[in-house]
Amino acid sequence: MSSKNMTIHLKIWRQKCCSEKGRMENYTLTTVSPDMSFLEMLDLLNQELIVKGEEPVVFDHDCREGICGACSLMINGEPHGPEMLTTSCQLHMRKFKDGDTIVVEPFRAKAFPVIRDLACDRSAFDKIIASGGFISVNTGSGAEANATLVKQESAELAMDAAACIGCGACVAACSNASAMLFVAAKVSHLGLLPQGDPEASKRVYNMVKRMDELGFGNCSNEGECEAACPKGIKISNIARMNRKFLLSSLTSAPEEGGGKQEWN
Amino acid sequence: MSKSFAKSSLYFNYFFSSIGKKQVLAVTATFLCLFTIVHFIGNLLMFAGPQYFNWYGHTLASGPLLPLAEGLLLLLFLSHASLGLWLACENYRARPERYYKKVRSGRGATFASATMPFTGILLLFFLVLHLLHFRFGPVYTIVYDGVEMRDFYRLMIEFYANPLNVVLYLLSMCLLSFHLGHGVQSIFQSYGWIHSKYTPWVKRMGLLIAVFLAIGFSSFPLWAYLKHGVVGY
Amino acid sequence: MFKLDAKIPEGPIQEKWDRYRFQLKLVNPANKRKYSVIVIGTGLAGASASASLAELGYNVQTFCISDSPRRAHSIAAQGGINAAKNYPNDGDSVWRLFYDTVKGGDYRSREANVYRLAQVSNNIIDQCVAQGVPFARDYGGTLANRSFGGAQVSRTFYARGQTGQQLLLGAYQAMMRQVGMGKVQLFTRREMLNLVVIDGRARGVVIRNLVTGELEHYVADAVILASGGYSTVYYLSTNAMNSNCSGIWRAHKKGAGLANPCFTQIHPTCIPMSSDHQSKLTLMSESLRNDGRVWVPKRAGDNRPPAEIPEEERDYYLERIYPSFGNLVPRDVASRNAKLQCDAGKGVGATKRAVYLDFASAIARDGADSIRKKYGNLFEMYERITDEDPYKAPMRIYPAVHYTMGGLWVDYNLMSTIPGLFVLGEANFSDHGANRLGASALMQGLGDGYFVIPYTIGNYLAELPLATVANGRPESKHPAFMAANKEVQEEINRIISVKGKRSVSDLHRELGKIMWEKVGMARNEKGLKEALTEIPRLREEFRRNSKVPGRADDLNPEMEKALRMNDYLDLGELMARDALGRLESCGGHFREESQTAESEAKRDDEKHCNVAVWEHKGEGALPERHVEELKFENVQLSQRSYK
Repeated sequence: MSSKNMTIHLKIWRQKCCSEKGRMENYTLTTVSPDMSFLEMLDLLNQELIVKGEEPVVFDHDCREGICGACSLMINGEPHGPEMLTTSCQLHMRKFKDGDTIVVEPFRAKAFPVIRDLACDRSAFDKIIASGGFISVNTGSGAEANATLVKQESAELAMDAAACIGCGACVAACSNASAMLFVAAKVSHLGLLPQGDPEASKRVYNMVKRMDELGFGNCSNEGECEAACPKGIKISNIARMNRKFLLSSLTSAPEEGGGKQEWN
Repeated sequence: MSKSFAKSSLYFNYFFSSIGKKQVLAVTATFLCLFTIVHFIGNLLMFAGPQYFNWYGHTLASGPLLPLAEGLLLLLFLSHASLGLWLACENYRARPERYYKKVRSGRGATFASATMPFTGILLLFFLVLHLLHFRFGPVYTIVYDGVEMRDFYRLMIEFYANPLNVVLYLLSMCLLSFHLGHGVQSIFQSYGWIHSKYTPWVKRMGLLIAVFLAIGFSSFPLWAYLKHGVVGY
Repeated sequence: MFKLDAKIPEGPIQEKWDRYRFQLKLVNPANKRKYSVIVIGTGLAGASASASLAELGYNVQTFCISDSPRRAHSIAAQGGINAAKNYPNDGDSVWRLFYDTVKGGDYRSREANVYRLAQVSNNIIDQCVAQGVPFARDYGGTLANRSFGGAQVSRTFYARGQTGQQLLLGAYQAMMRQVGMGKVQLFTRREMLNLVVIDGRARGVVIRNLVTGELEHYVADAVILASGGYSTVYYLSTNAMNSNCSGIWRAHKKGAGLANPCFTQIHPTCIPMSSDHQSKLTLMSESLRNDGRVWVPKRAGDNRPPAEIPEEERDYYLERIYPSFGNLVPRDVASRNAKLQCDAGKGVGATKRAVYLDFASAIARDGADSIRKKYGNLFEMYERITDEDPYKAPMRIYPAVHYTMGGLWVDYNLMSTIPGLFVLGEANFSDHGANRLGASALMQGLGDGYFVIPYTIGNYLAELPLATVANGRPESKHPAFMAANKEVQEEINRIISVKGKRSVSDLHRELGKIMWEKVGMARNEKGLKEALTEIPRLREEFRRNSKVPGRADDLNPEMEKALRMNDYLDLGELMARDALGRLESCGGHFREESQTAESEAKRDDEKHCNVAVWEHKGEGALPERHVEELKFENVQLSQRSYK
């Protein structure tokens, strides 16, 4: 634990709303403690701005323990910053040096329009889930829990994929702003379990279709998504989805799914 | 909607989906890779001597299936290139506002993977020039065993006597190695053929193929230049 | 003035729920689409209720504060979910889960509700497995169980250390399926700021659109509040930054009784605060106490690093005071003892508000690898936050506010004192009494949403006069809506017009300090009375000297904080008042005046075997305390002892 304060220069993206042009603004903080989290450092900046009567920097955040997936900052050119397997809220200032300049931007993608400053609209992810990211079982119709045995290996693989927090770092990191890792994680999680098997074909077909409609880019198998994922989701999930999608498209004729509802 | 229509629109949807396009790209890539390997093996005959090389060319050119093969190849190249460009345009549009600062993690993208559209376009230029120089280039003839045929050997030796042509060729092979270096393993990923046991080998094999083909192809103009460009034909 | 009728059905406890379900009125399947329900919150309770009601055919409008319903704070629960499946064959049963929950809650919960919860616990597991929740499995493919929080049986189901996340995603996906089918209308980045009551029934809400700042009106036939707990009154807690009490407090102001607000749970194994910039506290699973030994230096003011303090100068105080339970005493006991040690000047670390949790002997016994297997992710998290390696030096831990057992009073139907307002999950008070057992919160949230509300809301809706639903529903411009809108608008105008100097967070931090010091782990009359004078003073300061930049009719996080701050102040005051009125120690509520000779909690079942339900009497007026007496017919009251 060190207590010596650091000076940090910030270049932060300020943008009024989606339709207005944004710009980089410079700020300097002189009392940054190395024990602060990155978001606490932004809190500090905001406190200073509020006292000066300026509008604070807007950013999404909630649980601040790396599980809710709300925080979504592009820090020095990498989603969630330079640390592996770490969300923005769990990144600590001791990972930076006194006098560093840090560039902070929102996640950028056509499907993630900026709402204000560093906050963007990721409801496209929810729309993809609504198109098929579930197992169709009504409340009460679940069978006795141990009636279906699940191979431990499958359960573990499914859990690996289910660990996705829906933060969007994969989209932010991808040079094509593709959502393949997010979709593949859900397709894998549900498809690997026997419970999710009956509608596996329909699920992958509908989810990919919805993903394409929402304006995400295409996968070019680079693996930047995997490298940026704070939960370590593997691109082998994308390969699994590619395989399932091919089989689904060529061997069955899923009906048009629902999932077209919009909300705001 | 009748069932058969639903099914046909399904295939239509497949080819226009992001994954479908990638997989078609991968299929064309697979055939192009195979073609490149066959092309390389055929060219090895130049080391055996002019008559072997020219006979090989003649046999291919006089075969009844040549137009079909050439047509297929053209289709493969065109569909691969146009699909690739289409995907690249879509990808560009998926991020209308670029980052102020973006760095690669070093654990994912490589120079090769990040430049696929560019190496692809440059290789396309190379291909056009390559065809203009050889397929549609000057027609020298030579007679072996009473059969008149095109003297591709002479054409090649003369062309690579010019060091500029050699350098351009070598550069193009560098591009090829980058393109295949990411491309070969990418084919497997797009099909979904991955396995924790085999995928590391697939990746290594992809790199090996890329480097081997680039070096192998480079040996032809270098050999031609060193043998005849310097000494004179 | 309201009358408290818990509507507990007649009959033996095992049959109450079954009999009651038969008595409940049903809504004709063809008529369900005529009814509309509002759900506030998308945590376990809100998402599961939205999904289940939409599946039945009701029209559901669901609101959440975040950009996505999946961010709700249920997602952060680590440990697991209890159920009485008895898969390990170790003697568990519905009765035992019921008994443990009532006892763990220190006999301040309602027997009938708890028994029902234990009954539906098994259905929850079935439902979640069917949804694809990837619970841990044994090699044979069956579900794995572990024991949790000192329970004598292994009844906890878990998905690594992310059980809450997986259960929430299950409920979220079920809800999103209904969103896709058009049965749930989802509204994100919306905050409920007022409840609209027409003719004595909850009929809608006034919502602030957090992106545009506009106030929006939504009308329905019933309103479900599933907005979670109110730990953020303390500013520093393990709750998420956006978790808040405004939903329940604003309903309370409209007539919903608030029960036992002083019952808060303080979790013993959190990472201590490092300095004043801290925005929240991080919890580490209490499973750490299975292998870690808690100690402080014997001498107050001992500043040596832990490695230099010899064994004989260390005080393993939990093992010393509670030889039979040792480091595994319940949460409230462990927390209070840590505070006592720090108050005696034996605290460790730079701030002196921490105790050691030492794994040295466990590592020596089992090897570092075995410890890494069990707790690797927790150790990593600790190191990430503190920059200290717990394999080499002992962890520093300190208690933090974690869960609130109190909440809006509900009857057996989960309906509040306002007809048509139902309250689910942590937002209500019913099941955990004065202290919640580990792995029971997830069970309660899902139980309420999946298996209770679908039945009980039907009964309410079936009783609604048909002339007031569907086409007969009040309009969104109904005078009651306009009045509710005006109230909120005036509040917003007041906030924006104060051009003071202090940020809302700064003031909130100050409130948190008052609450933590005086309405925290140990409470006494003097401190509580001080809190009751300090909080109104702080309210004055807030009204006079707060600063909210930006515009009201725009995206404005500071405005959101300021609107919540009003409610924190009011609720904080009521918590102190409630704690003052409960002159006994029970569960998470420890009154220093009520302890045994050995400084253990002393319950007073003569005077306080009840639920305190507060009625709001208007701004500035003293709230009125009502009492629901608790009857224990199936569990015998006894003093807890962990010696």
